[in-house]
Amino acid sequence: MTRDEISALLPFLANGTLEGTERAEVQDAVTHDPELAAELEALKAVRATIQAEESYSPGEMGLARLMRDVDAETQAANANRRPLIWQIAAAILLALVVGQTVWQFTDSGPGGYQLAGDTPPAFTAAFRDDVTEAELRSLLLEAGVEIVSGPSALGLYALAPLEGVTREEARAELEASDLVETLETAETPD
Amino acid sequence: MASDPHAELMKRIGQGDKQALAQLYRALEKAVFRFIQSKLNDPFESADVLHDVFIEVWRSASKFEGRSKVQTWIMGIAYRKSIDVHRKRGRVSVTDDIPETADDTPDAETCLTAGQEAEHVRYCIETLGEDHRSAITLAFFQDMAYAEIAKVVGVPEGTVKTRIYHAKKLLMRCLSGRVQRGAVA
Repeated sequence: MTRDEISALLPFLANGTLEGTERAEVQDAVTHDPELAAELEALKAVRATIQAEESYSPGEMGLARLMRDVDAETQAANANRRPLIWQIAAAILLALVVGQTVWQFTDSGPGGYQLAGDTPPAFTAAFRDDVTEAELRSLLLEAGVEIVSGPSALGLYALAPLEGVTREEARAELEASDLVETLETAETPD
Repeated sequence: MASDPHAELMKRIGQGDKQALAQLYRALEKAVFRFIQSKLNDPFESADVLHDVFIEVWRSASKFEGRSKVQTWIMGIAYRKSIDVHRKRGRVSVTDDIPETADDTPDAETCLTAGQEAEHVRYCIETLGEDHRSAITLAFFQDMAYAEIAKVVGVPEGTVKTRIYHAKKLLMRCLSGRVQRGAVA
């Protein structure tokens, strides 16, 4: 180690952080060099003076400010997290509703979904394009039929007579209405 | 590495323990403030930076990997934040590693006398450039090893030794000059 290198390490001998062979080498140089020894003493004096200097740090006031801001930050983080919790809850609820709906339709029997019980369709009908829901409801009530499936991709509805209404009575009412464009007898499943 | 007295606190802070943060603040606040103050020389600005440092400790504690001592890591944050303040002030950080112009080795005996006078020491430290002042403050107030100082200021260990070497010479010359000129303490 050169003398300059030893000199550069003197402050670390003064603050006690030098270790191992470095420490031994610098200490040895100081022992044999009065100039280095005097410099080390001066550095120790400077260190002691610096350490003894009173420092007016923010102390407890600074800690109170820190805790206030940390609390505010934590609360803000929690507030941001809350909508996410609601979103998750809403998603779960939606999934349950959809799941239940799908289960209801898929579990309602063979041949696609049916709107009204297990009743087999008696007719397949197509209605005018401009027919309103109210007009259609009125016609179905008059004819004594209910929609059991539909509309299909072609706009066809499968209809079945209500309890106590014969096929003929229903057919007569439907055929008499100008809302019905086509009316066919449905094929009865085996 | 020797066991770090603050490592456990950092672990708890990383888990969101505010009491641990308060404990760490009480343990290191003076040292960190002193270091910031040595760089900024403005107690109000230094208090703000100290606050920012511990806010960052709170936010980043979970990322602390223990590669350095907790105090070294925090001093590094303080160092970077102080540099940011300097930049905002428009001060360009100029390296202080300027070679000596003359080899007028100061008298160590005189330095020893001056080194015991707080006014002289304070004055002479303030005459140092930023890099030299940081190195001396970390070595003498924080009692850091040169390897730790290198981590704090983000430079190689050799650079720290060079800075300390020049800072020490400038400091000694200043102290000696103060005594010889009979400067009033």
